[in-house]
Amino acid sequence: MARGFRLSSELIAGVVVGAVIGWGFDRLLSTSPFGLIVFFLLGFVAGVVNVVRSAGVAPDRR
Amino acid sequence: MKIDPIHQFNIEPLFTIGHIGNQTIAFTNSSLYMFLTVALISVLMLGSGRQLIPGRFQSMAEITYEFVASTIRSTAGAEGMRFFPLIFTLFMFICVSNLVGIIPYTFTVSSHIIVTAALALLVFFTVIVYGFYKNGLKFFKIFVPSGVPIYILPLVVFIEVFSFLLRPVSHSVRLFANMLAGHIALKVFAGFVAMLGVSLGAVGWIGGVMPLALTVALTALELLVAFLQAYVFAILTCIYLNDAIHPGH
Repeated sequence: MARGFRLSSELIAGVVVGAVIGWGFDRLLSTSPFGLIVFFLLGFVAGVVNVVRSAGVAPDRR
Repeated sequence: MKIDPIHQFNIEPLFTIGHIGNQTIAFTNSSLYMFLTVALISVLMLGSGRQLIPGRFQSMAEITYEFVASTIRSTAGAEGMRFFPLIFTLFMFICVSNLVGIIPYTFTVSSHIIVTAALALLVFFTVIVYGFYKNGLKFFKIFVPSGVPIYILPLVVFIEVFSFLLRPVSHSVRLFANMLAGHIALKVFAGFVAMLGVSLGAVGWIGGVMPLALTVALTALELLVAFLQAYVFAILTCIYLNDAIHPGH
């Protein structure tokens, strides 16, 4: 369970942070909705990268 | 009979310390349990004696030291040992406060995201400050993995920066969500016992044995989670600090 929590929190954190940054970006520069779309997807990608890394599937860059 | 599994996380001010602007700064039950945690750790570490042949109490203190030290050496290398005080403090604080929180009627400090976020941000800024202090601008190498073709490098760097910014979030949410979910589950299952008994009478009290057994099992699981999450927090701190000590390859 601890491992599941660990991996899912990585992914959720990625998506949520991406969405929040995108939303803030849109608010500041009034580019809605493109900031949200771009950063949401980037957040998802970064979340997946973190999940793969912490699962130890891919060779670590460290 | 009303069951309120969230009630245990209420913050109650015990007495007022002062005011900043219009904001009252109160000594809350959360602060009380933080002080209690620190007091327990102090008793363990200071009151354990310095005998050549350790007693039980002293062995416990020495085992915790050895445990954290070997964790740091294996993940961040010997250079990581300069962060031993930080990591040991984080590990002991989270571990002891989680363990205290399992005792019924107590408050769990790490079930509030503000507490875990503060700890995770402390680690995050330590990594940034130490990374730049130690490596200067070479610290930016952690965003540039080696062996990536030049035409996708900008995208990869962007994703690396993003995943670096995600760290404090996942670091804090993991601990907070584990403690919150575990304690709510415990409370809900314990509540079933009383609910069955009150609504069904004698049959209910006999049927209540099942959720009671589950509550006992969940308490054991929570004991494991309490320790494991403190360990995960400490080991991730080591991994992040390792990036600051040896950035990029």
